Amino acid sequence: MKNFAHINARSLDEAVTALQRYGKRAAIIAGGTDLLGKMKDEILPAYPEALVNIKTIPGLNLIEEKKGTLSIGALTRLEDIAIDARIIDGYPALAEAARRTASTHLREMGTIGGNICQDIRCWYYRNQNNRFACLRKGGGRCYAIDGDNRYHSIFGGSVEQGCYAVHPSDTAPALIALDATIKTSRRSIKAEDFFQVSVAKTTVLDDDEIVTEIQIPKPAGTSAFVKFALRKAIDFPIVNCAAMVTVSKKKVTAARICLNAVYVKPYRATAAEDAMKGKAINEANAEAAGAAAVSGARPMPYNAYMVQIAKTMVKRAILGCA
Amino acid sequence: MPPICPYCSTTFDAVDKLKTHIIAEHGAEPLPRPEGLIDLMVNGERYELQVEPNVTLYTVIHDRLGLTGVKMFCDRGACGSCTVIMNGRPVLSCMTLAIECDSATIETAEGIAAAKHPLIETYVKHHCMQCGYCTPGFVVTAKALLDRNPNPTEEEIREALSGNLCRCGTYPQHPKAVAEAAKLLQGGEGGTR
Amino acid sequence: MNKDDRERIIAPEHTLRADKYPLEDYSAIGRRGVRRKDGYEKATGYAVYTTDVQLPGQLMLRILTCPYPHARIKSMDTSKAAALPGVRALLRYDDPELPERADVSGHFGGGTEGHEPVLNRVGYWQGMPMAVAVAADTEDIANEALGLVEIDWEERPFNLDQEEALKPGAPLSNPESFPDGNFVIPAQQREAKVVWGNPDEGFKEADRIIEWRMRKDKENWVGPERPNGLFRWNGEYPEVWLKHQRPHLSKRQIARFFKIPVSQVTVHCLYQGGTFGGWSQMALNMQPNMIAGILSKRTGKPVKWQFTRREDFCGAGMDNARYQVKVGFKNDGVITAVAATSCFARKGFAHLGHFVENTRVHHLLQESNGAVLNIMPGSAFRCEQNMNALCLGAVLNRVAEALEMDPTEVALKNDGVEGRPMADLADLKRAHGFGGDRDSLKECIEVGKKAIEWGGKWHLPGTKRLPNGKLHGMGFTFTHEWSDSSGSGALGMRIERDDGSARILAQRCDNGCAAETAYCQIAADELGFRYEDVHYRQFEEAGFTTMTPDSSTNLTVNGYAIRNAARQLRQKILEIATTPRIPERPDMGYYPPFPDYKPEDLDIKDGVVYVKKDPSKRMTMAELVRPAFFMGKMDIGSTEPLFAWGWQNQQGAFMGTPGPRPIFVRQAHFVEVEVDPETGDIEVTKVVNANDVGKAVNPEGVEGQQYGGSVMGISRARAEDTIYCPATGVVLNGNLIDYKINTMLDCGPIDTIIIETGMGYGPYGSVGIGEDVATVLPSAYYAAVHNAIGAWVDMPTTPDRVLKALGRL
Repeated sequence: MKNFAHINARSLDEAVTALQRYGKRAAIIAGGTDLLGKMKDEILPAYPEALVNIKTIPGLNLIEEKKGTLSIGALTRLEDIAIDARIIDGYPALAEAARRTASTHLREMGTIGGNICQDIRCWYYRNQNNRFACLRKGGGRCYAIDGDNRYHSIFGGSVEQGCYAVHPSDTAPALIALDATIKTSRRSIKAEDFFQVSVAKTTVLDDDEIVTEIQIPKPAGTSAFVKFALRKAIDFPIVNCAAMVTVSKKKVTAARICLNAVYVKPYRATAAEDAMKGKAINEANAEAAGAAAVSGARPMPYNAYMVQIAKTMVKRAILGCA
Repeated sequence: MPPICPYCSTTFDAVDKLKTHIIAEHGAEPLPRPEGLIDLMVNGERYELQVEPNVTLYTVIHDRLGLTGVKMFCDRGACGSCTVIMNGRPVLSCMTLAIECDSATIETAEGIAAAKHPLIETYVKHHCMQCGYCTPGFVVTAKALLDRNPNPTEEEIREALSGNLCRCGTYPQHPKAVAEAAKLLQGGEGGTR
Repeated sequence: MNKDDRERIIAPEHTLRADKYPLEDYSAIGRRGVRRKDGYEKATGYAVYTTDVQLPGQLMLRILTCPYPHARIKSMDTSKAAALPGVRALLRYDDPELPERADVSGHFGGGTEGHEPVLNRVGYWQGMPMAVAVAADTEDIANEALGLVEIDWEERPFNLDQEEALKPGAPLSNPESFPDGNFVIPAQQREAKVVWGNPDEGFKEADRIIEWRMRKDKENWVGPERPNGLFRWNGEYPEVWLKHQRPHLSKRQIARFFKIPVSQVTVHCLYQGGTFGGWSQMALNMQPNMIAGILSKRTGKPVKWQFTRREDFCGAGMDNARYQVKVGFKNDGVITAVAATSCFARKGFAHLGHFVENTRVHHLLQESNGAVLNIMPGSAFRCEQNMNALCLGAVLNRVAEALEMDPTEVALKNDGVEGRPMADLADLKRAHGFGGDRDSLKECIEVGKKAIEWGGKWHLPGTKRLPNGKLHGMGFTFTHEWSDSSGSGALGMRIERDDGSARILAQRCDNGCAAETAYCQIAADELGFRYEDVHYRQFEEAGFTTMTPDSSTNLTVNGYAIRNAARQLRQKILEIATTPRIPERPDMGYYPPFPDYKPEDLDIKDGVVYVKKDPSKRMTMAELVRPAFFMGKMDIGSTEPLFAWGWQNQQGAFMGTPGPRPIFVRQAHFVEVEVDPETGDIEVTKVVNANDVGKAVNPEGVEGQQYGGSVMGISRARAEDTIYCPATGVVLNGNLIDYKINTMLDCGPIDTIIIETGMGYGPYGSVGIGEDVATVLPSAYYAAVHNAIGAWVDMPTTPDRVLKALGRL
């Protein structure tokens, strides 16, 4: 790994000041599990001159539930979320998403803030030493289009320039389904507005903005998370899906369903939500909702199978809420 | 060399005393700790080490402290071979910057062996190693599990160890060894084969 | 050493028969619960691997890898790299010290893969180490220097697919070595076409004929310790640390390369982190060592090299091939002829060999057409019998499907040796020295079926859906056990002066099979010692070659060498026990420990020498050998050094050697799966391995190879493939996140059953076990998936392939 300057921020202000000083030439490090891999592979468009360590900021590692809101500090480790009884009980989609993320070790290191801020997954983008000058690196094209795109977007490329990479977070769709709010060093953002399809970055965060907390309202309904990957541990999802469904008199009154790893950002399956409204949760309705979720899919030459899997994940996430 | 006051050249027998002295006598902030100087407690031994920011904890433990129990298999956080227990958590030393580990307490397989943890003998007994390269990573991860969960179910053991890759395929043996070590720790008889 | 042992050594053809002198009683051999000799070191991390070695002042070497699948360097400017502070030496392709071509292969010589420019100006696959190497104070500096090398590349057209590469008009993959075209014949055969019997006749005899196409993709070895080495030039001569399965061969190569006597090369071989074959970088695997040697010589410093994980993934993969298979068979399941043509990418290992070694089918046609491609070279890892095992399993199961028969019945109908049915082979077994006439395959199948409850669970393909909605499948395959490979083992054995324990002195070639433990078990029983009193001392310098040259089935070779040494040493002990120490000075008062007896009157048990007729007359080994003489207290009772050596030259039994010996031991594997029809996911819920290993010297070690091989086999069959970008020829999944080797959660319970018919050619009737399960098991999985969904899915059975087979895409 090439060298860099390292700053242990003792407060949020100190971290923000450091980020401002370096502008785009700095990177935030928390768990470091995504960032260090990218630095070792030298795949960043620009190698960071400085890392700002935010693990040294007190008060960002907590899980609290009060007044009907669950607050999770950005530095909370995924493992702590996965095993927290309050979260397993009241926010099962999030607990399960955390539990299914990567491996024990990575969950002990990786933070929830880092998990939603992680970079996209694409084996062209991540090919060592910037082997492919893709759109995200200022190059002229997306190599996945003519290449092997078995793990790429089934819902088209990013609007502006056509990057077909996918967002790999397991917790992001759970947070969107649970209608969470992301608090940063300067504002609050709805989870579903937090991600963006730009090729410059995956979130709407400014360069000097830091996620501090995640707030989730007590769900009115039940929630569930399902994940499909080739292996039962370590892997990023091929497709995952989180759902939160509210039922009244055996009919669905509200549903929030979000897929991930199928598009450049988490993909809210509104068609599936609409399909469920007023319906009972059962195999046939869930199947129809799954079909609705992928009705707009535009698979690439190698990833049509992901459409079938996405459909199934939507169905199973809904059934998981029964 | 004993710590010396930069203002009056008095010597002290401990850094803490020097710090108190500087604040009291000279009204100054004690000298900041040099950047990159870290304190590590590794297997009960204290080390003070100067590290560059890009040095990983793996490199410090393996190359500088000479503890070969951390192994590098994937070098990207995907295999568990370089696992150490840091402040009670099983973490991957190849994906940890040493500079961020100041005042950490770290355990490696060597430390676990020195403490005569029953895992070592149950690992030997159940042939949990073939080529042996990934084995210490499993031992360390299993130790972290038992520290928190003294009586894990087979499923819990498998879950906990699922981030450790073994190319030789020793997987079926580990739950047996970990369960037996758990039993031994609780004063019970070791299980039979 | 008895006559048979001696004959085995001096006349290799004597190895083509059963062990004539097994022991009557076994104590350590076959015993469960002996403490693994390498267990503690490995569990605690104290075991040292080549990658752990650091020498003061060592430089780190990095070599440029080709960024393109096929490209030539038009010009290269290394001046900025050489000027970077911390860079100590740089080697370019045009360096005058480099020979034009050299053998840097380490395994199979011949062809371009054995003789390459050490640093090539042309790259033939993405990731090929080439053109320039830098030795610097740190790896980071060396990397930075490589980044400063300015190269003007001439990209060339490339081939990634063998069938495309053989079409007229395809670009040349390697115009320097293959100027006439991309076509090649198999690496291990002289002819592309091999015929046994009369295939036309065989097809005429058939009631039915079926044909199909199938493929096998490019899994990678993924040895945990990455390829690495360390070269220290000690003034005149080199000292080298190698991660290598054949260090004694590498030693010879180093000597040849540097034009120095072999005797002056010191090679250390330590523990090895996963070496399931010749290790990666098969085609060029001595290249970095030679470069490190040149630069160590120039700088006067030790030079260490290590590939990154990604570089390793690009270095070498298993053979991959497409097959066109045609089978003729009778309505009762007897196969009359098989004709199979492969189109392979490099190597082209045999694919119908197991029919010869393993069945009564005597009409066979094996054709292998290959192409030179711009992908990583092929290599054999666990093992080159992959294609043989796949073809046998596929044929057997396709015939069963066509006849709606149970595949285990088809297997028993066709079991045999070199075209003769097994039922007729009692005489042949006797002629090879095997006493009994056990039917190995029948036994394997019986116990295996019982363990997996085949009777109640097997069904016709595609006919069983479980309550959980998944499709249930049962699969089976069989083949013979790997008997042995040709090679030699040589080692020493001595008695420790102070405590009378025994030590085996031999080169370490550890593949994780608990071989050193097994050697100690053999030595203990042959010497009459307790297992605890026999130790394996790694004789660090490669030379006592305790292995076969390709590491296959090492126990069957080295076990004899251990036994030979132990039998001689035992004889020596008994002679010393009955001989005066200083015969010409009886006045010194020292008489033989057992003065009135002859060696044959004595025996050794548990490390105690005693008189057979009067066991109260006894002496421990420690008492017998006495401590060494030391200053001030002369002990004239100490014995002469007790040392013996043993060796074994083993005639190979694999295809391609004249007259393969008939192999009578079999293995059968059973796999149960559940297929999720909505996602294409396949879960392996149970595996049963039934292996007739002849004699299990270390049962836990055998089982380790069974479940370990199963885990690897399932992993390969489910999800492993090295993926090339079809547009750019670059490896896309060269890391352990995107290349999917099984985790602990990805395989269900594995039942391991050991059968011991004693019909192996190794000592005590043993055979090898390390290579075969991982190689054979994929065929059983392949059959199980077919049994579940009623359609054949090529491996790896990724969800896209499964969903396609299910008609969901």
